[in-house]
Amino acid sequence: MNIAEHLKRSALPGLGVSVLITLVLGAWLFHAEENNLRLQNMQRLAVMHANALALAVANTNVEETNKRVVEIQNHNPRIESIIIVGGMQLVASTRPEDAAPRRLKREEKALFDLSNEIRAARETNRGEEVVRKKTTKIEEKADGHFVVTVPYLTDGQFAGILQMKFNAAGRNVFSPMPDSYLLASLLFIAALVAGSLLLLHPKRKFDLMKLLALGVYLAIALLYQYQGLNQLEQAMSQANRAIAADYLATAEQYDRLGYLALVRDKSFVNLWDTDHYQRPLGLVATDGSISEGAQAAYFSKRSEYLKRILGAIDMLGAAVLLFIIYGYAARMLAAIREHSYACAYVTPAILGMLVLVFFPFAYGIALSFTDTTLFNEFLPFQDRLIGWDNFKAILGDFNIYEQTPEGIIWNYQNFYWTLLVTVAWTISNVTIGVTVGFILAMVLNTEGLRGKAIYRVILILPWAIPNYITALVWRGMFHPQFGVINQVLQMFGMQPVAWFDGVFSSFLTGVATNGWLSFPFMMVVILGALQSIPREMYEAAEVEGADRWQRLKFITLPLLKPTLIPAIVLSVVWTFNMFNIIFLVSGGEPGGANEILITKAYKIAFENYQYAYAAAYSTVIFMILLVYGIFQTRITKATESF
Amino acid sequence: MANDNSKNHVWLHLGLITFTVLAIYPVLWVLALSFSGQQNVGLIDLPKDPTFFERFRGIVPVPAHWSVQNFVGVWTEQDFGRWLWNSAVVSLMTTALGVFLACTAAYAFSRFRFPGRNTGMLMFLVSQMFPGTLTLIPLFIIIVKWLELGNTYIGLVIVYATTAIPFCVWMLKGYFDTIPYDIEESALIDGASRLTIFWRIILPLAKPAIAITALFSFMTAWNEFILASVFMESEANYTAPVGLRFFVGGFSSQWGYFAAGSVIVSLPVVALFLQLQKYLISGLTAGSVK
Repeated sequence: MNIAEHLKRSALPGLGVSVLITLVLGAWLFHAEENNLRLQNMQRLAVMHANALALAVANTNVEETNKRVVEIQNHNPRIESIIIVGGMQLVASTRPEDAAPRRLKREEKALFDLSNEIRAARETNRGEEVVRKKTTKIEEKADGHFVVTVPYLTDGQFAGILQMKFNAAGRNVFSPMPDSYLLASLLFIAALVAGSLLLLHPKRKFDLMKLLALGVYLAIALLYQYQGLNQLEQAMSQANRAIAADYLATAEQYDRLGYLALVRDKSFVNLWDTDHYQRPLGLVATDGSISEGAQAAYFSKRSEYLKRILGAIDMLGAAVLLFIIYGYAARMLAAIREHSYACAYVTPAILGMLVLVFFPFAYGIALSFTDTTLFNEFLPFQDRLIGWDNFKAILGDFNIYEQTPEGIIWNYQNFYWTLLVTVAWTISNVTIGVTVGFILAMVLNTEGLRGKAIYRVILILPWAIPNYITALVWRGMFHPQFGVINQVLQMFGMQPVAWFDGVFSSFLTGVATNGWLSFPFMMVVILGALQSIPREMYEAAEVEGADRWQRLKFITLPLLKPTLIPAIVLSVVWTFNMFNIIFLVSGGEPGGANEILITKAYKIAFENYQYAYAAAYSTVIFMILLVYGIFQTRITKATESF
Repeated sequence: MANDNSKNHVWLHLGLITFTVLAIYPVLWVLALSFSGQQNVGLIDLPKDPTFFERFRGIVPVPAHWSVQNFVGVWTEQDFGRWLWNSAVVSLMTTALGVFLACTAAYAFSRFRFPGRNTGMLMFLVSQMFPGTLTLIPLFIIIVKWLELGNTYIGLVIVYATTAIPFCVWMLKGYFDTIPYDIEESALIDGASRLTIFWRIILPLAKPAIAITALFSFMTAWNEFILASVFMESEANYTAPVGLRFFVGGFSSQWGYFAAGSVIVSLPVVALFLQLQKYLISGLTAGSVK
């Protein structure tokens, strides 16, 4: 037997491919995790410095606060700027152009909003006695440059926020892990050697060699992963030591300046070193000592997720190994070679669909279980996971209206209000479309009517014009001051209507626009169906003495049903998802009262930048459409049997 | 009886004419505005206390002074030419890519029996149910944040082309199925390769269906507004729909430019639509009635 034949029958291809996959995926995972940890530790450092300063200025007056803020920045070159905001006031700032204290400017409203958001988060956490909302905000501006916002207290009361720009880059908080390429290459060579020695029996289902190959694979994979986890843990404890050292140095500096608010003892309630909910991490004591036990517990909690992925990689590798050594891979290759033409023709389209349709769909659903916004999307995915919270917030909020002495105030931001509007929008539009379309079709179907073709072409025009143009045109015609529609009202002595200021009138603008552009479709469909009804049926009915109404009821309507129902089903989905009209005509005015679900989801994503919340919103829309789709197939089936 | 009928028709005509005027009014309004040479949303300047007839004159869709100034201005003073060019490039590239991908895939689905064929067809059908906003955010993250293809033609083109694929594949496959297999068989016997058959025989035979598919892809890209407004942030990269909204959205109100731009953008689409409405309608109803 020659060597090539021998290698072909050995476990070499199987072990080679599966070990390679495991090593590459493992290396990639460790690398990503290393970056995560580095980011996390840089953030931890930035938060520590912000907390330290917030505590140092907690109980001083405005003048002293400004002095301390400037002093601290001068002593620490890594702090790029500091501002403190309290209410509408810019209390302190290290930027010379700010001239604090002063009132916030218009364009600084974002700071005021942020302050309110953090206050609300603190109140939620306190009220519910569970820690649910983050009270620390971190944003990464450039590589290693963070903007940290923490609450700013005076006399134990929330007084505003402290925002610090901190440069954590270039600082040795997390040294790079030693390269594991050597180990990986050695393990790969070992796999190749072992694989070439194991000669598989092609016919037998279970033989020792296959078992051995699996054993070799698992040994190599576990060895590599164990080694990687070990290195990560070491890097982490090293990072912890670096942060402890930084903590001590900073604490001494604060002491020298006379600002220190922490007593240095063995307590692990270190208020400087906290998580995003301002809970002490418990890794570094106030005297700078490190708890090995807490550190190990922290790492094992952190690496649990990692271990799960590594386990999945092992299973994938084992599956690939079995797939190859049992000869399925060879058979699949043969199949691809046999159908090579078909594969070549189909692959580009399938690939495009997978990447740009199916992956985004899955990713959108995954996103809806996180709290991703524009400001935290740089965080690793597992840190953003929040479970079902978004869905609970959307579907569990029944705060639709408030009862006040002046009457009921509707909460237009509520999901159920928007759902109600969407349903009303869909029903009224489809009703109008079908009614108008039906009447016009009946009229145009009149025998002997002249100029049918001209009417038909003109009436079909609204359908032909791009609907975003239609929407903008109607927006112009509803212009409260110069719009044509108000001119007509005034012509007959009526008062002009501020169309977009009232909930109902604003709703009407959308319905009018959509009605205008959707009747031609119904008209054309119904006209087509009417023309296919044989004339003899009407003649026979007339002979039997049926009047117009009876002919309509017993001949026209039943025969239209098979065409009409699918057309209605289709137009319900179109109207439900009619983004352009609402978005461009009224924009959901007033105050978001006329938003439909789909425009609401868009605004949440691209005006509030709450990507995850918008994804959850869209998932709910998808579920509604899915339920409707199932319902619809039932109806369509029912009409088919009719 | 005949007398009775024609009397009825008078009323019908009256009703129809009224309705037709209502239906066509917005179109005439835009046309009048585009030729009015000014930027206001009103067609004429009304005096302080207008009478009934002055108001009536205000709503008649005829400009006070005829002028092509808006059409000139939209090209010279505004970036509209650039936006139109962007739209044209994106739409043509989408058409080319979409038709290429759809033709190859549809041919394979129509002619070859291979493992995974039914799954693939089903996959295309299912994808039509995904709501736009759910994929919009991930697409934004993938295209703009990861691939950094925001503000480029390619980002928009690949997304448009893939969204158009399922419809095009189903449509083309249906047409390919009607082309008799004998033609291919005899060509195979004559020694032609699969590629030659596809290029030289099948594609020329399927020209009508390919034309419809191409038009569908083109219109998808030409009329698309949401994705374009999300992907194209810088003004120089706007497509025509985003640009038209730029004229009158928010606080700007350049209605004259908007009207002129709308006429330019709509003309080709409306012409194509009126030409092809028969096919479109038969396709829609065939699909739904079944």
